[in-house]
Amino acid sequence: MATRKPTGSASRATARAAADRAPGVRDAVIVGGNRIPFSRTGKKYSDASNQEMLTAALEGLVARFGLQGERLGEVVGGAVLKHSRDFNLVRESVLGSSLSAQTPAFDLQQACATGLEAAINVSNKIKLGQIDSGIAGGTDTVSDAPVAVSEGLRRALLDASHAKTLQARLKALAKVRPADLKPLTPSTDEPRTGLSMGEHQAITAARWGISREAQDEIALASHQHLAAAWDAGFFDDLVTPFRGLTRDDNLRADTSMEKLASLKPVFGKSLATSSEAPVEPTMTAGNSTPLTDGASAVLLSSAEWAAERDLPVLARFVDAETAAVDFVHGHEGLLMAPVHAVPRLLARNGLTLDDIDFFEIHEAFASTVLTTLAAWEDADYCKSELGLDGALGSVDRARLNVNGSSLAAGHPFAATGGRILATAAKLVAAKAAETGRPARALLSVCAAGGLGATAIVESV
Amino acid sequence: MTAATPATGAGDPLRVESLPTLPGLGGLYARGAASSGRIAAGRALPGLPVIGYGRAGDGDDDGGGTLVLPDVAYQVTGVATAGMTAHLHDYQRLLHEPVTDVLSAGYLHVLAFPLATAVMVRPDFPLPLLGMVHLANAVELRGPVQLGDVLEVRAWAENLRPHRRGVQVDLVAEVRRADDPAGVPVWRGVSTYLAKGFEAPGTEPAGVTEPEDAAEDRAPVGTWAPPLPTGRWALGPGTGRAYGAVSGDRNPIHLSALSAKAFGFPRAIAHGMYTAARALADVGHARGEAYRWTVRFAKPVLLPGTVDVAVTPAADGVGFDYVGWNGGRRIKHFEGSVTPL
Repeated sequence: MATRKPTGSASRATARAAADRAPGVRDAVIVGGNRIPFSRTGKKYSDASNQEMLTAALEGLVARFGLQGERLGEVVGGAVLKHSRDFNLVRESVLGSSLSAQTPAFDLQQACATGLEAAINVSNKIKLGQIDSGIAGGTDTVSDAPVAVSEGLRRALLDASHAKTLQARLKALAKVRPADLKPLTPSTDEPRTGLSMGEHQAITAARWGISREAQDEIALASHQHLAAAWDAGFFDDLVTPFRGLTRDDNLRADTSMEKLASLKPVFGKSLATSSEAPVEPTMTAGNSTPLTDGASAVLLSSAEWAAERDLPVLARFVDAETAAVDFVHGHEGLLMAPVHAVPRLLARNGLTLDDIDFFEIHEAFASTVLTTLAAWEDADYCKSELGLDGALGSVDRARLNVNGSSLAAGHPFAATGGRILATAAKLVAAKAAETGRPARALLSVCAAGGLGATAIVESV
Repeated sequence: MTAATPATGAGDPLRVESLPTLPGLGGLYARGAASSGRIAAGRALPGLPVIGYGRAGDGDDDGGGTLVLPDVAYQVTGVATAGMTAHLHDYQRLLHEPVTDVLSAGYLHVLAFPLATAVMVRPDFPLPLLGMVHLANAVELRGPVQLGDVLEVRAWAENLRPHRRGVQVDLVAEVRRADDPAGVPVWRGVSTYLAKGFEAPGTEPAGVTEPEDAAEDRAPVGTWAPPLPTGRWALGPGTGRAYGAVSGDRNPIHLSALSAKAFGFPRAIAHGMYTAARALADVGHARGEAYRWTVRFAKPVLLPGTVDVAVTPAADGVGFDYVGWNGGRRIKHFEGSVTPL
């Protein structure tokens, strides 16, 4: 922080003042990131476990920054679809890496916000001086997803194991019905509503009147931007090949509006007859993220820790805000929590949307990005739902997901936060180096359960 | 109305006949009896037909004489809920209620309704139970009832009145606390049934409106425009069997496609009260400890099937309205409300 140049911007001065109000809190910086290429489910990583992928992502980070044998302050991460045997998934991954075995670790899970929440935790510990360094990560596989037994079989097995006599055990097992033998596979349905995430988002998109064409444009831009970033070598120091894969295999550099327009809708098909928002379905496999396997990790530390090891520093992890919305009875859209978090985050840091150089808005669906932008531009909504005086403002599309996002890269749930954070940190570092002025990125990740996590990173 | 002199809503006095226990269903789990489903009222009272939806076109008009409801209220005292824990929790898990020691309005319906069924199978009850259509249900829960409470249950039939397709009748059940038998019922349920092809008694009861007709006077199938859904229920083929096991209502129209076909349905249909109780559970804590819960049934839900539901705050800001429909075919299944009291 001491090395930052003062700026003339009033809002930036306010940001400094806000940060300076907390004595004893030091900066947490992002040193770098590493992930494995993301792969569509059932393809290259079909037999790779969460632990194998997370270990690979960690090992790539260790190799990149010479962390072999290093005792880090903490490694924090998680998986959304996690087998019960993986209760210490992150610790086991650390033990399987060449980090010091004395590096503590813990698992956390906040659906698709897992990766960013892990980074928030690590950066907070660094800021408080509890640790000097840490890794935030995440991994997910749908190919190798846990399969559970049915509730009927589970209860019968538990009752049988609790039974004290053979007779009682047999009686417990006799309750098993043929239908109970069908295994349970994970689904993306919201437990409380029974609607899939895609159906929820289709309802939100219908409410906001988001067009098919606008969604396909977002999808096309995502593929084009990600392809350009790969071609420019942007990911050369952010990705380590895994299982023979060197690029994200969902990326379609040659896709077009025509190709995207030819895809059939998959969500919201029954909404066309609705009395409230009678719209033709707009959400396709092209403008929705595919199920994906992958893992990511980001190294954070204090500025001193990085300097002592002669490591580069990409950005400061400035601040973060999480939010949740009441979606169960339709008051708010399932994936709209970041819309609520961002105004609070900006206000606390004395910033506006105009102070942001890069918007990294996770593309759960193209329409999620569009409903987010539309909401911030809607004065009535911002007043009634966000408690603002008027519209939050418009996002400059030229600053939005400039190197692509989840529609192109894919979205292995818990790994997405790490992908976005490393990308954002590198973007602001490059921008600051190019312009000689500080650069900022705003990160926004929506998640199941009406959750959302957002953060600001700024060049050093 | 007091415990000593019960009367119908129209003020007609009722003779109280006490039964030793709730028929069929009552005390089954409480006594730790086998978990088998021999709890249908039909089993408890030999010869009892079962409640059901009517088969299209079964309007045999054999009600030539004047229809008179029995002036009897059945009563069971000393209903101990202390032993119902396992049954209550089975009910709560099935209906997506939180698993607690509180007896929801839907559970109290399951507890009390067999007594009303017993009224309908009295020899002097003028309508045939088989083929009756459940049109609507209205319940008031005036305060929390918990496991351990000792209850008194009473049930009778009243308000026989015309319906354009026959006659309709209300089966009323009331639950009081045993320590306050003369007080206001802590739970009161009115189940409205249609018997097709019968004619109502000479004079229409005064002041009776026919909101239930809305279930029949619905817009033609395929033109109704549903709201945006807030939820979707994927109901498996065993939904009717599961609710039948917990509620004791093992009407064959709910149990299997084969048994339902015998009554004119293409497949098994979900219990109406199952769907209404799922909607009640969806409202969650917002309903409070005392609430009014209503439902009007339209087209039955075929099993297996998917029901789109909208459970949304009521327009007047008090409580919730709900509606369930078939998203693909634009058919309304049910609608109702949950209003805190």
